[in-house]
Amino acid sequence: MITILLRLVGRRGTSMPGLVASRVSPDLLFRLLSQLEQCVVVTGTNGKTTTSALLYSMLTDDEHPWLTNRGGANLLQGLLGALLPHVDGHGRLRVKRAVLEVDEATLPLITNRYHPTLIVVTNVVRDQLDRYGEVDGALAMLRSGLLYPGTILLTNADDPLAASLGWERELTYYYGMDECPVDEEPRNEVRDGAFCLICGRELQYERYIYGQLGYYYCFSGHFGRPAPHFGGKTDGSSELIVRERATDPRQEEFMVNAGAPGLYNDYNVLAAAATARLLGRSPRQIQAGAEHYEAPPGRMQTFPGSPERILALIKNPTGANSVLRTLESDERDKAVCFAINDADADGRDVSWLWDIDLERFVSAARCQRYVCAGTRALDMAVRLAYAGVDRQRIQIAEELPEALAMTSDLDVPVYVLSTYTALYPLGEQLRGAAR
Amino acid sequence: MTDRTVTLAHLFPELLNLYADQGNISVLRHRMQARGWTLTVTPVKLGSRVDFGSVDMVLLGGGSDREQQLVGRELAIYREDFATAIEAGLPVLAVCGGYQLLGEYYELQSGERIPGLGLLAVATRAGKGRLIGNIAIEWVSQSGESDGKTIVGFENHAGRTFHDYAPLGRVLKGHGNNGRDHHEGLQYKGVVGTYIHGPLLPKNPHLADHLLAQALAFKGCHEPLDALDDELEWRAHRSVLGMLGVKSGEIRA
Ligand SMILES: [Zn+2]
Repeated sequence: MITILLRLVGRRGTSMPGLVASRVSPDLLFRLLSQLEQCVVVTGTNGKTTTSALLYSMLTDDEHPWLTNRGGANLLQGLLGALLPHVDGHGRLRVKRAVLEVDEATLPLITNRYHPTLIVVTNVVRDQLDRYGEVDGALAMLRSGLLYPGTILLTNADDPLAASLGWERELTYYYGMDECPVDEEPRNEVRDGAFCLICGRELQYERYIYGQLGYYYCFSGHFGRPAPHFGGKTDGSSELIVRERATDPRQEEFMVNAGAPGLYNDYNVLAAAATARLLGRSPRQIQAGAEHYEAPPGRMQTFPGSPERILALIKNPTGANSVLRTLESDERDKAVCFAINDADADGRDVSWLWDIDLERFVSAARCQRYVCAGTRALDMAVRLAYAGVDRQRIQIAEELPEALAMTSDLDVPVYVLSTYTALYPLGEQLRGAAR
Repeated sequence: MTDRTVTLAHLFPELLNLYADQGNISVLRHRMQARGWTLTVTPVKLGSRVDFGSVDMVLLGGGSDREQQLVGRELAIYREDFATAIEAGLPVLAVCGGYQLLGEYYELQSGERIPGLGLLAVATRAGKGRLIGNIAIEWVSQSGESDGKTIVGFENHAGRTFHDYAPLGRVLKGHGNNGRDHHEGLQYKGVVGTYIHGPLLPKNPHLADHLLAQALAFKGCHEPLDALDDELEWRAHRSVLGMLGVKSGEIRA
């Protein structure tokens, strides 16, 4: 049976062979997982695909190869699909180390039967409310996935909800930003975690970083930002200084540059570097790995050409605000195309479009043209109109391919911001256009 | 020059701010501005007092289950003044969690009752499973008349809500108050309660203007609201009707 499955594996699209195999043997995934010597699971709301890709680059080498579920196939089938290509004719894994991106709802299904070496939680913010209920539900699912006490947890000190996962838990490490450029005034952003989980009072912030991330504390002293074992320092360039205080009282500092723009990517790089250090990689190996890192599909992926197009996933307000902030820092004139779908994988509810701080973007970003596409193009168009975009400058594409044609006459970069299910068709089309 | 300012009190924004209340506020603000009025938003944090006498309109937004429980503890101080203002005709828009909060309680599966503001005889019980999806209703006036206008949006609630007031409308596609009686929302004097978000107002400009006209009337100003260019809004509205397979012509006038 395995050989039949292996024949299927040659194809692209990692979920399909996994789906077939899970019907054949629901135990197969766990049989394979149990053969792993080391397994890092990366979960959380935003940044898990990028963090996993960074971590994979930092960990794998010829001597100790790792495998990964590259490309965000992060449900059970996707995990199986990532493992199967590495199975030999006797049903044994040839590669014994894995970095697995796992959806937060899938985490408990994995950890019920298998205990990874280390779990990274990037953040817990509002995402696809209709899929999981609300952010509390996501937090509860993560908490139940972290019950096994022997698993190391690395989580984000600057995010009150992610940090709360480490309360009174052994083998917990935190990462957070020591120094980074921040806005002088807090932006008009959603802060899901901005109240104490014990007394319910609004959290006080000494410093806002973005979204609900920052230096927070409860006025009654129940709860505050834990001191990070791995501190990051960035000046807004893609160079990140990692300050390590975990393993040795002597503070060690090293620089990592993965060429990934944006503060949210600094967090991803910091999480990956911290994980690699906890697994014993040297700073030199980590930097070498970061140099080989390539952005996963649709994570600020550039398609050269005329016009140059840059494809980025947006799927919730915090992530979208981070992406828009990176666009703002590109001082060139530009066009922006929003491709908004409402399939299950995108989130059926498009309310989140109104939680994006578009007003600020519209006034600051030197954007010449706005194109809206996808099944919810009109919702996006209305959103832009109320954010202050002149209605005459909003174009609506009936179909995705049209959206790109509507910007092909431009000589300024076109940012294509897309929800999940539009991302892959757009990526294919952009690859074709860039050829 | 008369005072052309409408004051909106946004209750408990730090807790009830799920489902893009900013969207509803943005629509109200822009549509007032376009008519030469200013909408001033006064955020009222939990625990601070509201002078309902200086408020022309109230927004109670959606919140997650946890947030609602937190709100429930400190509501008593608002009850009396708020109830008096509602009886006087104060326009109130209450969405999702805010709609539930107007009522007497939210009963959890365990039977435990989380108290609401107790302003209206409305009860909500947690049901098995959430009622989720796009929704379209036929807007029905408080006296039971309809001119065939639709309201569209998205609903996502575990609570099943029951009351004997006029509903906001009849469910054409979707679940509504409780998934059983084909009613959605509530209207009582100036109060509109609803599970419809998405947010509610951007794709329903007629409802936004209805609320604004009420706020102006409550202020004592009866000038008609100028028509605006709502082509995009109506296209978005019709696209939801299309997704749900509701043809606007099918609705009885
Ligand atoms: Zn507290």
